[in-house]
Amino acid sequence: MMRKFFVISFLMVLLLPIMSGCWNQKELTDLAFVMAMGIDKGEDKKFDVSFQLVNPGNVASGQNGGGQGLPIAVYKSSGNTITEAARNATKMISRRLYYSHTNLIAVSEEVARDGILDMMDALDRDPEFRTTTQIVVARHTSAQDLVSALTNLDKLPVNKITKELKSTEKMLGENIGVNIDDFLAGLVSDGKNPIVNGYIVHGKKEQIGNAQDLQKTIGGAFLEADGLAVFEKGKLIGWFEHQWARGVVYVLDKVQSTGINVSWNGKKHAITMASIRSKTKVSVHFKNGKPLINIAIEDEGWISEANTAVDLTNPQVIDKIDKLVEKEIKRQVLGSIKEAQKMKSDIFGFGERVHRANPKQWKKLKGDWNNHFAELDVNVKVDSFVRREGIRTSPFWINMNK
Amino acid sequence: MSILSKILKKKQKQRKDDNYRQQQDPQKPEDLPILRDYKENISRIKGEFGNSNDIVIREFIHSKHRGALVYVDGLADSRVISDFILESFNENEIVADEIDYFQFMIEKAVALGSNKVIYNWNQVYDSMLSGDTVIFLDGYNKGISGETKGWEKRAITEPSTQLSIRGPKDSFTETLRTNTALIRRRIKSPNLWIESMKIGTVSQTDIAIMYIKGIANEKIVAEVKERLNRINIDSILGSGYIEQLIEDQAWTTFPTTYHSERPDVVSSQLLEGRIAIIVDGTPFVLTAPAIFIQFFQAADDYYSRFDISTGVRLLRILAFIIAILGPALYIAGTTFHQEMIPTTMAIAIAAQRENVPFPAFVEALIMEVTFEILREAGLRLPRAVGQAVSIVGALVIGQAAVQAGIVSPVMVIVVSITAIANFSTPVFAMAIAARLIRFVLMGMATVLGFYGIMLGLMFMSIHLCSLRSFGIPYMMPIAPFNLRNQQDVFVRFPLWAMKYRPMFISKGNVIRSGENQKPGPPKQGDDTQTPKGES
Amino acid sequence: MEKAKIKASQMFILVVLFEMGSAILVGLGVQAKQDAWISVLLGLAGGLILFLIYYRLFKYYPDIPLTSYVQKITGKWIGRPLGLLYIVYFIYCATRVLRDFGELLTTTIYTSTPLIVINSLMILTIIYGIHKGFEVIARVGELYFSVIYFMAFVGIILIFVSGLIHIEYLQPVFEYGWRPVVNTFLKQTITFPFGEMVVFTMLLPFLNDSKKVKIACMGGMILAGINVAITAAINVATLGPELFSRSNFPLLTTIGKIQLANFIERLDVLFMLYLVIGGFFKISLFFYAAVAGTADLFKFKNHQNLSFPIGFIILCASITIASNYAEHMKEGLEVVPIYLNWPFQIIIPTILLIIAFFRNRKKKTSTS
Repeated sequence: MMRKFFVISFLMVLLLPIMSGCWNQKELTDLAFVMAMGIDKGEDKKFDVSFQLVNPGNVASGQNGGGQGLPIAVYKSSGNTITEAARNATKMISRRLYYSHTNLIAVSEEVARDGILDMMDALDRDPEFRTTTQIVVARHTSAQDLVSALTNLDKLPVNKITKELKSTEKMLGENIGVNIDDFLAGLVSDGKNPIVNGYIVHGKKEQIGNAQDLQKTIGGAFLEADGLAVFEKGKLIGWFEHQWARGVVYVLDKVQSTGINVSWNGKKHAITMASIRSKTKVSVHFKNGKPLINIAIEDEGWISEANTAVDLTNPQVIDKIDKLVEKEIKRQVLGSIKEAQKMKSDIFGFGERVHRANPKQWKKLKGDWNNHFAELDVNVKVDSFVRREGIRTSPFWINMNK
Repeated sequence: MSILSKILKKKQKQRKDDNYRQQQDPQKPEDLPILRDYKENISRIKGEFGNSNDIVIREFIHSKHRGALVYVDGLADSRVISDFILESFNENEIVADEIDYFQFMIEKAVALGSNKVIYNWNQVYDSMLSGDTVIFLDGYNKGISGETKGWEKRAITEPSTQLSIRGPKDSFTETLRTNTALIRRRIKSPNLWIESMKIGTVSQTDIAIMYIKGIANEKIVAEVKERLNRINIDSILGSGYIEQLIEDQAWTTFPTTYHSERPDVVSSQLLEGRIAIIVDGTPFVLTAPAIFIQFFQAADDYYSRFDISTGVRLLRILAFIIAILGPALYIAGTTFHQEMIPTTMAIAIAAQRENVPFPAFVEALIMEVTFEILREAGLRLPRAVGQAVSIVGALVIGQAAVQAGIVSPVMVIVVSITAIANFSTPVFAMAIAARLIRFVLMGMATVLGFYGIMLGLMFMSIHLCSLRSFGIPYMMPIAPFNLRNQQDVFVRFPLWAMKYRPMFISKGNVIRSGENQKPGPPKQGDDTQTPKGES
Repeated sequence: MEKAKIKASQMFILVVLFEMGSAILVGLGVQAKQDAWISVLLGLAGGLILFLIYYRLFKYYPDIPLTSYVQKITGKWIGRPLGLLYIVYFIYCATRVLRDFGELLTTTIYTSTPLIVINSLMILTIIYGIHKGFEVIARVGELYFSVIYFMAFVGIILIFVSGLIHIEYLQPVFEYGWRPVVNTFLKQTITFPFGEMVVFTMLLPFLNDSKKVKIACMGGMILAGINVAITAAINVATLGPELFSRSNFPLLTTIGKIQLANFIERLDVLFMLYLVIGGFFKISLFFYAAVAGTADLFKFKNHQNLSFPIGFIILCASITIASNYAEHMKEGLEVVPIYLNWPFQIIIPTILLIIAFFRNRKKKTSTS
């Protein structure tokens, strides 16, 4: 009996700590979901951080009648570190800021040019942050504008950017989703420079965050992805404009689908091939100790438009189109590589390839890689295949000309 | 410690001695012999029963001999008595000194199915109280007990708790004999043995142990008998009494014996080497040993094809998991691990919880308790009122609570899903265990989220693994894992492939079916094809 | 000694769970960067050789645990203190694992929960298991073995489907030469987790078929070693060597990267499930070895009485052995392997084996 008593009292002692409370418990209603964070340069402190908070009652449709008010609210606070800014924000917000659903970090161009290294560790270390959070640079505008923008289509404005990046990566191939992890990986790597999507505000900036703007089908101001920001040692050093952006995405093997226009019989943009599958292989060869990059792109697609009289039933014609598409892709890829070499910024990760292919040689090249990169010889070989041509054989143009 | 146990042991021994003396005491009136004078016997009965008016004593004179027959009205069939005893007396007069009168009575005059000679009062009461008729003859210090059992019994009806779609529709009744007959009708083998005993110092309830000799494990049979013999209680009013008194482990919520009201289920258990305990007065037959997975096997699993029954069984296990974890996961998800809920869903839930004044745990507790109360009320209510309860319940739980802003709609969904999932466990005893565990896990989830739930589950699995049912580990073919016995666990093998009985139960005779039981098309080929030569 | 008997398959599963236990959680062999998996495999090879030493010892004394045969080999005066040291060592190991486990939860998910709460609940569960006996622990092991493999299977499929694997991260192999790999092997992977098989010197007598010891244990080690190596490789291939070496718990980061169909994301719960299961078995076995050793050394009849006091010691020690995680890790990576693991796992057993060899040869020659 005594033993039982001891055992039970021992258990009680062990259980005591539990009785005293639930530490990590946080009710949903006490949380402010931070959907996006915008980081601007502060006036007196280092950072101005804008928090896009979601207002659940206004987002979720249901019997509570969603959509009565604005889906988001934006608060801005400043601090010398991200944590300080976040803690300062609690002076304005009744709920606990909660970052687990943060999908977007927007950084203003100004901050990016000064270097964003000081904010990265906060995002990397805090277990609440997702490493899959996207990062973008607000171009010609403040990051606050980016996170306070409202959108017509998406109930959650942050989805406008994150989903858009995904869909444009899929359908066009001029942007790629870059998350914190990718960015950090580029940051610490010797042989690769990170790139980040740029976003601009189209139209009147004053209209941003104005609910009345949503009443119009054509908004007064809207966001658009524009260009890729190139970083070197955590600082923004230049932009890849969209005509070169696709080449970058091609080399990085992120193109899923895109449209390539080619000329036919002198008519410009006569035929469009919509590629459905694309695969890029990058390999490194060494010639007298100098690395040589070979890029092999394999592209498959279908003809989505033919605005000229062309006989698409003829395999030879298809062959010819293949060749033209190959040329066009090659032009874009080479163009973007040239552009990068001009910037002396290895955004393609060629350095990493060299590293893997020949670690010893890499040790020699590593120190001055940017200059080596600028003079790198790159071969591009494109194999493109038109597999089918939609539900018509030859275009109506052929019948018209008869 | 050791001194204590020694004292305890001594006490136990003393108690045992006491028991022994009680049973053997020659001075006990019950063991007194029947007297020669039948009048004295009659007055003794009158005295013992305190003139209870359901004791019928009829004196008679037959072939110049005097005697009396005694029976309990209501337990004995009075028509049988008049037709086969009294009527037969008139027809069979003893001719001179043909034989001994007592012998004549037993062999000829009392024309009943089963006649026994009885000698002492113990037997007299036994026979009377089980509906037999006792005949005292003047001048003999023994009596005749004739079988005239015939009390009112409930007809065999459809099972009320364990329904099946394709299986037989009969179920056990309160009568022990009917129940044994229902099983015997299914297993027509002399190896089906029945041993009976009486338990309950006052109630003297008939209990039968059934098993198939040669399939059942002798050790377990002996163990069952020993545990039953150990029972010393005034009455056994249902098989639940027995269940609680013979379990291996008293401190557990999980049932360690199986019970069924379906004769087909009990028969199949017997055929797997289990032992059935039938208690008079209960339509639920106990079977032992029981294993965990057994509570997820329903009769229909074996009547439908294996693919379907496997799917359904997996569904049941999933439902059991939901029934245990449902509200706990909701609490953990909404108060600890909001990051794991997809963003849109998290926002949707947050929006719904916006107006709810309680923390998630309280909200869940309110709903769960309300539901449990409703279920409990519905269970005991007369059928006519039952509908009212379900309407009130649906309104209270479903709509009003949400509209009043006391609970969120998600919570209602969670509670309903768990409730429905809970009902899909075939055996009530297991379902109710799940219900209890659910509340414990809800508490754990409130304190420490998923970690709490995991610890709770860990506790539960340690507990489950430590349980035994008549020496058989409760989690048997899963832990300890046994490859050959996996035929009827998560996947029910096709009948033609279920070659073995569960080997951990019936040691020895484990082959269930012969070789090559797999059916197939006729070997000669297709009949519809035109015969050779015609084309 | 408890009179438990377990099957060879149960022993196998216990070995696998024990070896994988915390080895999968912490970044094993991070110092070798992308070659972590090679050092794991090297550690496995070393561990197998070590196990052969333990196995030889077991062969000499098949019915008694380490704490008993240590006395037979070295005599009572050296053997008893040595046995005691082993018990302390097992308790210390259990403590370390418990601390690891608690730290993991407090740094990732339960950021504001005190360590003692996390640990005391865990140790409570384990005490319950120990109280129920070794057979029950083995059975629980069987129950969770399939759960773990199911989770691992789902996890790997999700990682592949999410397109997170970059095989090129595993290259170049031996970038920094053999040295870091061998260094990691000697300092870490041979002792943790493979040398920890020394625990089983206490548990092998429980096996009902002593012929199967070799196949059950070595098979278990190989399976666990391969699993750990695969995990290390997947971690590197998902995170890249830099992030891999920067993460306290690479597997958690890897799982955190899974993102599928906007619905399956942040699967930390899978990780936690594994964590509790793995932690449970690792601590349980060390704990049980300590309990069995104490019962053996001090001739306790009822080992269950020991589970509470020893559990309490483990709990208290797990809170006090280090004041912060960095200190704990530093000890674990630099002090423990050399000053504790090497002597207890490698040096002492080897010496014991040599003495036992000569003793038994003498015996044999004298009897024949």
